[in-house]
Amino acid sequence: MSVPTSMRVGPFTATVLVKKKYLIFYFFLMWVSMIPILLEFWFYWQWLWDPIRPVHFYIWLPLLVFGMYVTMVFTSLFFAKILLIIVNSIHEPREGVFLRDASDKDYRYWSLRNTIKRWPVWLAHKFPFPFLDNVCFKLFGVKTKFTNSLFEGWVDVEFIDFGDNVVVGQSSTVQSSVIIGNLLIIRKTVIGENVRIGAHAIVMPGTHIGKNSVLAANSVTTVEQELEAGWIYLGVPAKKFKKNRFFEDGLEDVLGQVGDVEETRKKYEQLYIKRYDKHHTSYKERKELKKEIREEERKRSEET
Amino acid sequence: MEQKKNNLTNQDQKDDLKELALDFTISSAVSRVNIKFLAVYIPIFWLSGLLVGIAFYEFTKNLPPIQENWEAWVITLVLIPFALFSLLFIFIFACTFLSKLFLILINIIHKPKEGVFIAQIGDADFEFWSLRTELKKLVIWLIRNCPLPWIDTLAFRWFGVNMDFSSHLQDSWCDMEFVNFGRNVLIGQGAVVMSSMIVGKYLIIKKVILNDYTVIGGLACVSPGTITGKDSLLGALSSTILNQTLESGWIYFGIPAIKLKQNKLTFITEMTKRSVDDEEAIYFDDGVNIEEDKKKKLNL
Repeated sequence: MSVPTSMRVGPFTATVLVKKKYLIFYFFLMWVSMIPILLEFWFYWQWLWDPIRPVHFYIWLPLLVFGMYVTMVFTSLFFAKILLIIVNSIHEPREGVFLRDASDKDYRYWSLRNTIKRWPVWLAHKFPFPFLDNVCFKLFGVKTKFTNSLFEGWVDVEFIDFGDNVVVGQSSTVQSSVIIGNLLIIRKTVIGENVRIGAHAIVMPGTHIGKNSVLAANSVTTVEQELEAGWIYLGVPAKKFKKNRFFEDGLEDVLGQVGDVEETRKKYEQLYIKRYDKHHTSYKERKELKKEIREEERKRSEET
Repeated sequence: MEQKKNNLTNQDQKDDLKELALDFTISSAVSRVNIKFLAVYIPIFWLSGLLVGIAFYEFTKNLPPIQENWEAWVITLVLIPFALFSLLFIFIFACTFLSKLFLILINIIHKPKEGVFIAQIGDADFEFWSLRTELKKLVIWLIRNCPLPWIDTLAFRWFGVNMDFSSHLQDSWCDMEFVNFGRNVLIGQGAVVMSSMIVGKYLIIKKVILNDYTVIGGLACVSPGTITGKDSLLGALSSTILNQTLESGWIYFGIPAIKLKQNKLTFITEMTKRSVDDEEAIYFDDGVNIEEDKKKKLNL
């Protein structure tokens, strides 16, 4: 129940802040979203505060606080959306592979966009009901339905399409952008209807998951991987495991049976790649290698 | 459907069962709830907020005007952090109490039970299951966001997880029904203990039993129906499949978990632990040198 601190990866993008001056937008949003709730409280105070008989004031106060939180989210959303429209009109967000350097325009704007989105999304995520989250995603350009539950994991807030009835599992990650070494990769992620993403699974940018398919727990897809519709995928990187027949009717009695664990283990072993060094270097070889390295170093030091 | 089943030969049926075996793990994170369930939150927020309002009123009501008596103002201002902290806990406990009341009502209307159900709106079991999870989620959300440790054990006990204060699940996800803990169970960071899972069109609810001295590693997944023996250990990043049993005294690892080696460290706990079956404490008082004993038993 409820994502604990160590799993709360949040819906934040792992933004690397390029320039500190972008924080101005962040503080602006925080400040601007506080103003209407202060106004609300002031009106409420003027209307109902009576020092002799403060009963009415205290009775309706909890509901007001509830409403204040929601208005805070919506005002921050509103101003963030305006800022985003301006920013996007200056430089349109696009997919591609970019340099992870402050000189790269796309990288700078990606960082700026995420800095703007961060405050409203954080606010919405702190609310225990998934309703506000879905509003946030919708406004920021992620195609979702209110039937989706994207609440327990981390979902990037741009270049993602969701179908109906998608479930993103606990602490799993759905990304549309990733930083690898010196590169920033942005690709559109498309997730079809009725897809279930398991706990701790990671969906890399550019993944297409067809409808009615399943990405099992603890598995990872690669960049631009295509998962066919109606299959169960599993492994690192994800591979076909078996057909998803669990959408058929009348399986109530059959389900809940499990085969032999050892047998399934054998099945799994074909899917999980084992990596190990094939060449076992002997002691002599290692000695020679060390000698070579030392000589090279000597040469370098002589040159300088 | 029945005609079809009759036509199939035995071999086909076996293959069918193999294909329909649930030998993979998904997740239980279905907070996909109708917006109508938000209606439950509002009374809970409201009533517990009322209590907070009353407490705050009591705290501030006897203040004289500042020109007459400034010392009273200083004292109240000094005590304000303490007051705010206690207000938070009043709010949390009121929420817990109210949602427990709602839960009792809901469970009277529809009793929670294990089994395989259809995960579609219209199925009573599914709808009540999601309503229950949504109700419990509010409280555990509040508790997980406040800095006091050990307090979430209280909430878990209150909402129907059978556990006591020797067990520990500070930093992990745990479904709040059909979970049984023994003594001194330890669950690692980010681990997931699920008693329910949605596979395709079906919702599967099955009891999870974690026996005494079970250790579950970080980021591990425990599927519904898992039963662990005494002193068994599930390694980090590994997961169990539906209805799997972990034998007592073994270390399990992998996806799905298989036996890795015997859990030799259990010999050490033997000295201090209580026997659960008889509910009696076993004490080793005279002449046991723990360090020496460890060395002998571990062959160090």
